[in-house]
Amino acid sequence: MSVSEIVFQAGNATNGSGAANATNASAAGGGQTFPEILSGLLGLGPNPDPGLQFLFAIVGATLIAVLFLTIAAVGGIWGKRKITAAFTDRIAVNRVGPFGLLIIVADAVRLLSKEVIIPDAVDRPAFDIAPMVLPFSALLGFAVIPLGSGLQLADPETGFVFVFAASSLASLGLLMSGYSSNNKYSFLGGLRALAQNLAYEIPLVVTGASVVLFTGTLKLSEVVAVQSQPLLTIGGLTIPSWFAFVNPFAFVLFLIANLAEVGRNPFDTPEAPGELVAGYMTEYSGAYFVLLYLGEFLHIFLGGAIVATLFLGGPAGPVLPGLVWMVIKILAVYLFTQWMRSAMPRVRIDQMIEIGWKGLLVMSFANLVLTAILVGVIA
Amino acid sequence: MSLERPTDRSDAVGVTEEGLDYDALADLLGDSVVSREQHRHTEAFTIRPDEVQDVLFALRDQAGFDHCSNVTAQEYEDRFETVYNLKKYVDPTQELSVVVPTSKDNPVSQSAEPVYRTADWHEREAYDLVGIQYEDHPDMRRILLPETWKGHPMGLDYNQEKPQIVTLEAHANPLEDDEHDAGADTMYLNIGPHHPATHGVLHIETVLDGEQVAHVEPDIGYLHRCEEQMAQQGTYRHEIMPYPDRWDYVSAGILNEWAYARTAEELTDLDVPDYAQVIRTMSAELCRIAAHMLAVGTFALDVYGEFTATFMYAFRDREVVENILEDLTGQRLMFNYLRLGGVAWDLPEPREDFFEKVRDFLDGLPHKLDEYHDLLTSNEIFQLRCANTGVLDAETAKQYGATGPVARASGVDYDIRRDDPYGYYPELDWDVVTAEEGDNYARVLCRLQEVEESARIIDQCVDLLEDWPEDDREIQSNVPRTLRPDDDAEIYRAVEGAKGELGIYIRSDGTDKPARFKIRSPAFSNLQTLPEIAVGEYVPDLIASLASLDIVLGEVDR
Amino acid sequence: MIGLLKSMATTMRHALDGSTFTVEYPDTAPEVSPRFRGVHKFSQERCIWCRQCENVCPNDTIQIVMDEQRNGEQYNLHIGQCIYCRLCEEVCPVDAILLTQNFEFTADTKDEFALNKEELKNVPWYKDIDPLEAREPDRGGWVGEGEGELDYQ
Repeated sequence: MSVSEIVFQAGNATNGSGAANATNASAAGGGQTFPEILSGLLGLGPNPDPGLQFLFAIVGATLIAVLFLTIAAVGGIWGKRKITAAFTDRIAVNRVGPFGLLIIVADAVRLLSKEVIIPDAVDRPAFDIAPMVLPFSALLGFAVIPLGSGLQLADPETGFVFVFAASSLASLGLLMSGYSSNNKYSFLGGLRALAQNLAYEIPLVVTGASVVLFTGTLKLSEVVAVQSQPLLTIGGLTIPSWFAFVNPFAFVLFLIANLAEVGRNPFDTPEAPGELVAGYMTEYSGAYFVLLYLGEFLHIFLGGAIVATLFLGGPAGPVLPGLVWMVIKILAVYLFTQWMRSAMPRVRIDQMIEIGWKGLLVMSFANLVLTAILVGVIA
Repeated sequence: MSLERPTDRSDAVGVTEEGLDYDALADLLGDSVVSREQHRHTEAFTIRPDEVQDVLFALRDQAGFDHCSNVTAQEYEDRFETVYNLKKYVDPTQELSVVVPTSKDNPVSQSAEPVYRTADWHEREAYDLVGIQYEDHPDMRRILLPETWKGHPMGLDYNQEKPQIVTLEAHANPLEDDEHDAGADTMYLNIGPHHPATHGVLHIETVLDGEQVAHVEPDIGYLHRCEEQMAQQGTYRHEIMPYPDRWDYVSAGILNEWAYARTAEELTDLDVPDYAQVIRTMSAELCRIAAHMLAVGTFALDVYGEFTATFMYAFRDREVVENILEDLTGQRLMFNYLRLGGVAWDLPEPREDFFEKVRDFLDGLPHKLDEYHDLLTSNEIFQLRCANTGVLDAETAKQYGATGPVARASGVDYDIRRDDPYGYYPELDWDVVTAEEGDNYARVLCRLQEVEESARIIDQCVDLLEDWPEDDREIQSNVPRTLRPDDDAEIYRAVEGAKGELGIYIRSDGTDKPARFKIRSPAFSNLQTLPEIAVGEYVPDLIASLASLDIVLGEVDR
Repeated sequence: MIGLLKSMATTMRHALDGSTFTVEYPDTAPEVSPRFRGVHKFSQERCIWCRQCENVCPNDTIQIVMDEQRNGEQYNLHIGQCIYCRLCEEVCPVDAILLTQNFEFTADTKDEFALNKEELKNVPWYKDIDPLEAREPDRGGWVGEGEGELDYQ
């Protein structure tokens, strides 16, 4: 048995399609995390000594980080331009390499070779730490997400809580970068980011909690497993019980809150190019800027991963391996944010806070109560 | 919304059936009028420099002159002079010039600012460039040139060869701690001169209270290129015409050229053949469409964020107009197409192709405008952002001399194309677009609707041009090789530019170059309203309001 | 909500129809209309050294040097300073100076844009369009004319 076969079997869909297969696969994946699979492969049993466990975890983390950094590079440098260009009737990068793909290399070299300019009187440790906190918090969140094909670093009982806790660490990074930059635009941007994240974190978690009401567990692998059950069958086509189908209202709420969380139109007030120049990013350059920029994209991808896990059945899908489906779903959410960016005006900061506290919060609680009643009735 | 001029309320002094009765106006002012003279476009009253406010108050409140269109300052061999060109919003053909001479050794004159708010910036400019001091003025500082500038460049004794040497220390440091920062709860914020939303180089000194704007002061002059001075060094016949294109440089070129053409033609009694007038009207309206498209696009840019589809769509549609204008004039922005007494060329051959091109554009326009309405005006978030923000009421708009779409969106029914007709406009069927709300939303809507009206005008012009008899296509009247208007003739004429009333004041001195050439820029007056509409709003609305005023700094600073 | 969906639909329609309005310059050269005003071309054979172009030029871009017998020696034109108003072509009685459609010119320094009469003569035509013919159909053209056949001096 080759390695890849084992990995596929442990995760999802080596063959065939349909819900029954997905159920098997998810059930298998639900049991094992990536370090466990790895130690199993090496014949070390499910519980080798802690040092080796740690080593396996590092290997897994490296894999995931490399994967998402690659997606961020392709999606953030090349994809973003191509997508925006498509919406705005332009051509975009097409000179360097096939379809302009080598622009990624060119841009990476350009960005990294730029000087890191540290302005006068910045709050030094905070100014330096902030660009690391942002991508770090996003990558941390991926640790508990079942990415399919067995790629899940850890599967704690409280995975759901952990992923939101990790992603909201970003607010700290934004505040630090805004406050330490010694720039009034950065300052305003940092404060806006904080106010915005506070206002939208609660609806986000509460809406996510409505999913937990269905599953009855905070363990993300089980959230995924529950969604693989068939919802209904129409003419031989089985629709799995993804929560986007079970509770579309919650799905829309979550998508909106997620847009605000990652700061994309119509909620891109923290950056607000045109008002605040570049918000909290204004004073950053060179590698620091790259980190912030990367962090932003990683957060969009983490948001996409959470949406996929909670509402779109995680890595489930026919024919292709689970990991590929996961990436497709993440990129679909990313495409959606770019679409909104082209089509939606930015709301004003006071309106945005109002929408958050008075609109979304109320609706998310209403959704929670309704879901609770629904779950109670079914039970 | 019609070509019918709004009914004239004629209880104002001096209004008669035949026009203005200047004797009645002179009687109203009594002894204040020192002498009366004839300017080419109207009569002028000369008054004493210490009675400016009394006279202007009387003229505004009793004679109905509510529009201080232009303030020109100039220096003669023996005196300084400030000329206030007054008009009425209900009927801009009722005009009056008020001339205020002051002595050479003590050039102090009373400020008109308490009467007309718009005089604030105009008098600052007069002080800056010519050197007349205005008493009672709330803020007598330089406006276009830096504070450190020595001398007044439009004065007669100014030495243009002498370099202006200023040490770095002498310059005000914009990063210096501000009084607003010290101990106060407010924050001083420089928006511009390098900022994505300032539409050129504009510096807005802003004081923020939290996210709200507590105080706004536009600081202009970064794009001052001595356009007036350059025009004064060019000959009427040829050398001035290329420059108006560079005032409002975002594709409103022919509208600007027409301002000069109208003024100079009236000054030198030139006729323009009808055929040329139709071509002028058509090309000017094409320019208006291009300018409004850009205005809407950049407004979307400021409300949406950096990559907006609307902006690119606006550019795509504007590109079509630019192509038509390129076929006609030979250039995409700096047209230099009008000539005194006509236009440079007839329509390009083959004419049918050209007409087809224009018609294709006009046929596609409704669909494109629908797209803008889908993207902008019907979008709920856009409405949320723009409705009831940046509100400018009609009275304030008049006080500041606002014109164009900015005034019309505030319910001021004022369009020079209709009220003080020129070109071929009176023969055509079109409407003046107005709105009552005066907010950012109304201003954008007004521009979009004006594009429709311009399209109507172009459509009719194309019909006319198609049927024009071939032997009657006279594009230029017979113009003397050198134009020398009479000595000491003064004239102020205006046209409806893309941003509003674009007027030019010329005083001739018998040579082939103007002695004083003053540009009344609509964006200059419109920008002045920014503090009125932005204070109390949030920062994003300050940016949106600025964008909705649609200023072009090339025109503000000249 | 309907408005938001309409906005989204409009942008998506543009994304899906795949049409673009930008072109891949220089692979696709933009269309230049026949009347377009680009870099000047000067013909010493035609020039009668009347200096009208020098006089009319609004910003003193044209500089002419003559000897005592009023024979032309130099004709310099700074194409970086020029505002392309075409007044020189308009006043020229013998069509000795005209503006080609050529808009592609670059240089490393400003000085390279100061062209003398030889350089002005060698400015290439753009796509063989005769500018005079295109602008004013009744005036004779340049393009078909052999080099140096005419001599007005």
